Amino acid sequence: MFSEQAGRTAGQCRHYAMCKIDYLGTGLCSSGEQNHYVSHFPQGRMDIYHALCRGLIPVTAGLVEIAESCDLCGICDKQCHFVTGLRPLEVMKALKSYVRQWLKQGNQPVQPGNDPDLEKLRGIVGQKWASKDPAILLTYADDPFPLAEMRMPRYVVLPRTREEVANLVRFANDRDLPYVVRGNGGSVFGFVFSHGLVMDMNRMKGIEIDPENWTARVEPGVTSFELQKEALRHGLRANTAEPAATVCGNIVCTGLFSTWSNAYGVNADTFVDMEFIDSRGDFFRLNDPGAPNAFCFEHKLTPPPGICTLAHVRLHPTTEDEEGLMIPFDDFEEAVLFARELGRRRIGLAVGVLGGHYLSTFMSPSAELADKVRYGLSQALGIGCVVFMIGDRFARQAVRSMHELVIDSKLFKMLMLGLPRLADDEWLELVSGMDTDKPPYAMLLSREMHSLLEAVLRPSPETAALAVDEDLRDFYTRLYARPEMTDMVWLNMFRIISARMSRRKHMFAFLVYVPLDRVEVTRQICTELGRIADSHGIEHDYGFLTPLDMGKRGILEYDYYIDHQDPLEKEKIRQALKEFEPYLDNLSATTKGVKWLKYIFSQGCARKEAFLYT
Amino acid sequence: MVIKHKQQTFLVTGGTGFLGSHIVASLLSRGHRVLVLAREREQTSAAGRMDRLLNWFGLSREQRRDMKILQGDLNLPGLGLKARDAETMAEEAQEIIHCASDTSFSARRREQVEKTNVLGLENLLHMVRKSPCRAFHLVSTAYVAGRQRGLCAEGIREVREFHNVYEETKFRAEKMAARHCADNGITLYVYRPSIVYGDSNTGRTTLFNALYYPIRTLHFFQKLYTRDILENQGKKAREMGVRLEKDGIMHLPVRIKSSDECGLNLIPVNYFVEAFMTLRRECPEGGVFHVVNPRSTTISLLADYTRRFFRLEGVRVVAPEEFIKQPRNGLEILFDNHIRYYSPYMQDKRIFEHSRTGAILSGQNVTCPEFSYKVFDACMHYAVQTDWGRLLLVK
Repeated sequence: MFSEQAGRTAGQCRHYAMCKIDYLGTGLCSSGEQNHYVSHFPQGRMDIYHALCRGLIPVTAGLVEIAESCDLCGICDKQCHFVTGLRPLEVMKALKSYVRQWLKQGNQPVQPGNDPDLEKLRGIVGQKWASKDPAILLTYADDPFPLAEMRMPRYVVLPRTREEVANLVRFANDRDLPYVVRGNGGSVFGFVFSHGLVMDMNRMKGIEIDPENWTARVEPGVTSFELQKEALRHGLRANTAEPAATVCGNIVCTGLFSTWSNAYGVNADTFVDMEFIDSRGDFFRLNDPGAPNAFCFEHKLTPPPGICTLAHVRLHPTTEDEEGLMIPFDDFEEAVLFARELGRRRIGLAVGVLGGHYLSTFMSPSAELADKVRYGLSQALGIGCVVFMIGDRFARQAVRSMHELVIDSKLFKMLMLGLPRLADDEWLELVSGMDTDKPPYAMLLSREMHSLLEAVLRPSPETAALAVDEDLRDFYTRLYARPEMTDMVWLNMFRIISARMSRRKHMFAFLVYVPLDRVEVTRQICTELGRIADSHGIEHDYGFLTPLDMGKRGILEYDYYIDHQDPLEKEKIRQALKEFEPYLDNLSATTKGVKWLKYIFSQGCARKEAFLYT
Repeated sequence: MVIKHKQQTFLVTGGTGFLGSHIVASLLSRGHRVLVLAREREQTSAAGRMDRLLNWFGLSREQRRDMKILQGDLNLPGLGLKARDAETMAEEAQEIIHCASDTSFSARRREQVEKTNVLGLENLLHMVRKSPCRAFHLVSTAYVAGRQRGLCAEGIREVREFHNVYEETKFRAEKMAARHCADNGITLYVYRPSIVYGDSNTGRTTLFNALYYPIRTLHFFQKLYTRDILENQGKKAREMGVRLEKDGIMHLPVRIKSSDECGLNLIPVNYFVEAFMTLRRECPEGGVFHVVNPRSTTISLLADYTRRFFRLEGVRVVAPEEFIKQPRNGLEILFDNHIRYYSPYMQDKRIFEHSRTGAILSGQNVTCPEFSYKVFDACMHYAVQTDWGRLLLVK
């Protein structure tokens, strides 16, 4: 009765929660929007179907309701395909079909029994917003992080107000019930699982912009995407993380960082104040004189200050002449030095060094095209990496005076919309056949070549859509006709394409603060993490590097890729852990400027100076 | 020293390459036993690669019977051979033909070119010591002459300046092989071909670089703008001054910097193979041999052939000053990038001494065919028919 193919697809859900934000303008899954539980979003249904296939849960009353509440609108197919290439609609259909057949056979769904604690929880948050239905619990029990095991909670609750959160903490304390908080119901790092109570903050979505102070007050269910959208309506910009990640969760967990951190800073730079509920259920603000000192940093694993119920974050002014530039390099170190120079000279807002893997994956609407583009960029065009920069016209002039060859917004649009033809074999062969001392990109991207390049690429939304399955081409054509889809500024503000990094396989990211004036340290980290991965047969690649604090420091991402459903791959990571953990621990303890993000976890409110320069 | 010429066992490196594969096919069809050192590539084993190539040559299963593939890598110590294959080489290889080479001219690929052309040879020579090999054939290039002017001798002389890393590393390889062979009593043959293209009779080839690339670029432009004119009202074509005339001839304004004082020295691959076999047979004492064309082909003539074959106009050879008056357009920039690194060979004033080689070859009725339009036509027909090699199943 189970579809094998749908089961495989279901198991591949990356838990990026991108189906919980309307990032493509398709609208949201209506069932998820009304019910808020993860289980009612496509992500949850994927987990549920995968669990049913493996006999992990029974068909419950909640499961029947979840399956039935899906109207098979197909929004999930578009949203999920955009970032992961997966087509969840077949899973939604398979789930619905399975449940209907199961009921038709005269079976009765399991009803969760009476539970006085559940009633108490419902008394706090409302009847609908507390559950112990296994189908719902399951969707808060696991994630693709390979080093965490499944942990079924006893209850899931969705509070609406800060007072409800405080009451929940007190209730949990009374019952000696462990609890964790989930920002958007996703946990790709495996830290927020509990056998007790899971609080999902998805209903706490208040955003209040203060235009005079360039700040916003956001509740813990607000995602980066939602805050950015609201900020942009006021002509402002937030320094945000992954689009589906919650702002509060991100600040508390690791501190905010992105390519914008070059100008906007990290961790304590990003907020004005934060409100927490402590372990006794009492409120405090970081700016209260008597509050615990969350601004300090200790080089050890520490618990978070409490449950964040409000973040008062900084926003930043924008100008109308902002545009993106990419500066291609064949040599990584040259690129890093150039990015550092931009940081040192305060040129540009967002700055990052992107590797060929990131760049091709971000730009390509399909994994197959990404592979070809990657080859095309690195082997045929000779682009090893790019320095990416967003800046106003003065910043761009400065960059052009420092480096002659750049990919400007017009050329970027041409490349994005002509990408399938950039990766065309005939064209790439012709280009790679140029046996020149300079890499071919140096000639191909010059202004004189634009007309020829345009003739080759024939850029258009229709061309870009050639990269995807035929039945999705109309949608992608309409999507790529929207200006923001080829606008480096918008794409970097909303970061909707960076989630594509996990398209091929689940990503295991290493984030390390590095001293930017010593490029060899960064090189050494990349080499060693690469060596460890190779020795365990793990796919790996350089991710990105962003200068911080006027180029004195940077944040480096290096990634391992694994199939999280393959036990052998999980084992490889476990074995590799025995090498990379002591290596990064030792480096963090002994090398100035190096700090593995592991130590920043739960210390995201710390002043950057407290961990970058100690 | 007497070399037994019948039923010899040869070890060929670079057997999956252009010249190497032609030599392997020729040796096998002459009934010799051939050991082929080759790498696996893109999940195709060395044997699989060789098999595809020999299919292309039309060699029967019977003719291939005396071939053994030694999967290895010249760049690795011990050639990356398994113990049993290393033993085979040590026991059987009577003559070694070293064709493996990295032909890149690019300075940014220096490390790789050095690795293949110099270190690779060093690894091979190290293994030769352990084999019964008494004759070492090094396929080099006429262009080890570097920046010399005038007459370039058929001998290994000191050269100090080169146009590119390929010339330099091939020169270093010659010197290394000469030293090693002298020290170990091995007869050395150094073959120095000029620019090699496909078969002069059939146009068949497995490699479409050198002569082919610039012409392929023009053909690419022709297809690109034909499509633009037919499907996009010729918007991009107009920007470049490209148009389709009523008689179907395309006006493609591409100027090529050159002069008619000199030209390319081109030899067909069938001539090279014939020359190789003849020199090996007729010169038991070994030596250095310029396998070149006594007549160069001017760029003007090549442009003329190209216009005629592809039904183009506007492609013309001009003096360098022209580009000062009017800078290059995008087409010319791309085209120029394909020919820039061949410019030393396009305006070659070097004269390759080949009196000795010429005399031996002509004595055996082996002469270099003229690069006529008929030859060009055969080569281009084959190139277009195979989409410049993309439709060939030999990779």
